[in-house]
Amino acid sequence: MSIPTLAVTLGDVAGIGPEITAKALLGHDDLRARCVPVVVGDEGAMRRAVSALGADPTTVRVIGSPDEATNTPGTIELLQTGPSLADVPVGELSAAAGDGAYRFVVEACRLAREGKVDGIVTPPLNKAAMHAGGHKWPGHTELLAHEFGVMNFSLVLSAGDLYFFHLTTHVSLRQAIEDITPERTRNVLDLAGAFTAALSRPDEAIGLAGLNPHAGENRLFGDEDADILAPAVEEARARGINAHGPLPADALIPAAVKGKWNMVIACYHDQGHAPFKAVYGDDGVNITVGLPVVRVSVDHGTAFDIAGQGIAREASLVLAIERAAELAPGWDHVWQTAQKTAS
Amino acid sequence: MTRPVLALTVGDPVGIGPEITLATLAQHAGDPAHHGIAVGDLAALDRARTALGLDVELRAVSSWDTEPAGTGVVDVFDIGVLGADLPAWGQVDARAGRAAVVAIETATQAALDGAISGVVTGPINKEAIWAAGSEHLGHTEMLGALTGATEQDTMFVVRNTHQPGHHLRIFFATRHLSLRKALDKITRETQLGSIRRAAQALEIFGVPSPRLAVAAINPHGGENGAFGDEEIVHLAPAVADAQGLGLDVSGPIPADSVFHHGLTGRYDGVLSQYHDQGHIAAKTFDFDGTISVTVGLPILRTSVDHGTAFDIAGKGVADAGTMRSAYLAAVEYAPFVDGIRAAYQPDNA
Repeated sequence: MSIPTLAVTLGDVAGIGPEITAKALLGHDDLRARCVPVVVGDEGAMRRAVSALGADPTTVRVIGSPDEATNTPGTIELLQTGPSLADVPVGELSAAAGDGAYRFVVEACRLAREGKVDGIVTPPLNKAAMHAGGHKWPGHTELLAHEFGVMNFSLVLSAGDLYFFHLTTHVSLRQAIEDITPERTRNVLDLAGAFTAALSRPDEAIGLAGLNPHAGENRLFGDEDADILAPAVEEARARGINAHGPLPADALIPAAVKGKWNMVIACYHDQGHAPFKAVYGDDGVNITVGLPVVRVSVDHGTAFDIAGQGIAREASLVLAIERAAELAPGWDHVWQTAQKTAS
Repeated sequence: MTRPVLALTVGDPVGIGPEITLATLAQHAGDPAHHGIAVGDLAALDRARTALGLDVELRAVSSWDTEPAGTGVVDVFDIGVLGADLPAWGQVDARAGRAAVVAIETATQAALDGAISGVVTGPINKEAIWAAGSEHLGHTEMLGALTGATEQDTMFVVRNTHQPGHHLRIFFATRHLSLRKALDKITRETQLGSIRRAAQALEIFGVPSPRLAVAAINPHGGENGAFGDEEIVHLAPAVADAQGLGLDVSGPIPADSVFHHGLTGRYDGVLSQYHDQGHIAAKTFDFDGTISVTVGLPILRTSVDHGTAFDIAGKGVADAGTMRSAYLAAVEYAPFVDGIRAAYQPDNA
């Protein structure tokens, strides 16, 4: 690919997705040198958002296929996906918008499987709306993994040079402890290793956080660190991955936030998300590692309370597009590794 | 007493304790609002002075109400354990362990007697105190034995540099347990007890009508039972029980927002459910080091939350920031010492 083509799903059209998409694509022409963004969404909702921002709605151009995109600055090239959502009320949870958000993701995955797009960027969807629309996925990431038939993937939070991989995410803390198996730990270490290689930083140190207080302190506080995490790190090192740990999470994670580590693997959702959100707020992105194409998501919600007012910030979406453009060219290596390690 | 007197135990004299204690006191000597006195061997502090290249005078005092001599003079309550024959820097040593224990005993007794407002403890080495014959696991057990306290909680104090004056205080429902055991230990009853003790501590430590938030256990607070039911079965009922008792308690609130809201002023304290939840939050936010206040003792005690750092002891490079913060926290809490004493007398427990 010369520059990657990225599917930008519109997310829940009752939320801030359309307006941040409009702001990102109409206000950041420099993105056009790095990627060809193609919106997978709804023309009516997109035009409404563009108008609300005081721009010309005819800048939205409907195309039939990603290869028709001209990538002209000042235009939004869009693939109409499903019935019109022009009349969906802004700022309210609706089954129609939830169904639409689901369909945009499914369509983006189809385009990726057919090789028509090189990456997927996702503004927020609303889980309750998606469920109301009849699609009971625990989250965006799980839906994407299903569409690609992938079991081995990791949710990665990122801001700046910092990446937080997760061994487990949307399960209870008790279930997370059960899900931290030697296989899962090995898979995520391999994904992290392949990912650092894709970033052209193969020697980057990868720190694995401990599960228990003080990483178990020699089995004083639980055995999982010694029995599962430590051997997995040893084996990863033998495979040439610069892995370290398990390290006490209350040392590793604050040190990472302060710039001393770039690659961190958290054991469970809150171990990574709580410090990350506290420090970066909505300025981070969420990368799914393990899919055949790169997928980067904004790290905030649909914000129904401010949707349609034109005040939502597009910074996270711009960052997500930049990240996807940066990662797409090296993604094959990550995907090959993910397939090799899939158990 | 008008001007609070605080005792700073130097901890293990061959660790970084003497250096960070001396650096802290040297910086604050001459401040008329408070008087810090190092508790340890005069020779050990003198050696730290050399290591730091500090131009201060050390003055041995034998009475806690000695008038401070002002800028450039650091007072030392000389415990006389080591004499001039100091053990080498950075090695586990029984005599050093003995000195660490005596310093804690001396300062604790002074606090129990009401001769000082509080104690700030420097880091000790477990192996050294065991080599010295102590059977305690650490400060907590030692202070419990010395004061008769049976239940101690840890309160972390996090200063928000963006919001001067507001501090986030973090409490723990469980702490030094495996994550599995921590989860097993949390019930509606234990949670209510944790909430009540945290709310009481906030009041005693100077927050009238405290607003407390309870952190959730599961991702997104369990999302209505989709990811775990501890919130539904234990935490929410305990919060309701506490509200029924008239406490201003909110939650359970997802961990990826509750600490942030606590830091920016929505809450005075957050009850974390397990060790890393509160520790990671505190250490991520607090660039000056995490200050730990012990709650449940009939004395005021603050401490650093780091170790003896034997590898850099004596090199004059240790960062005194956390010790200084722990000292200033003790100064700040000194006006509440009568309340602390009254609330946590073992007879009242």
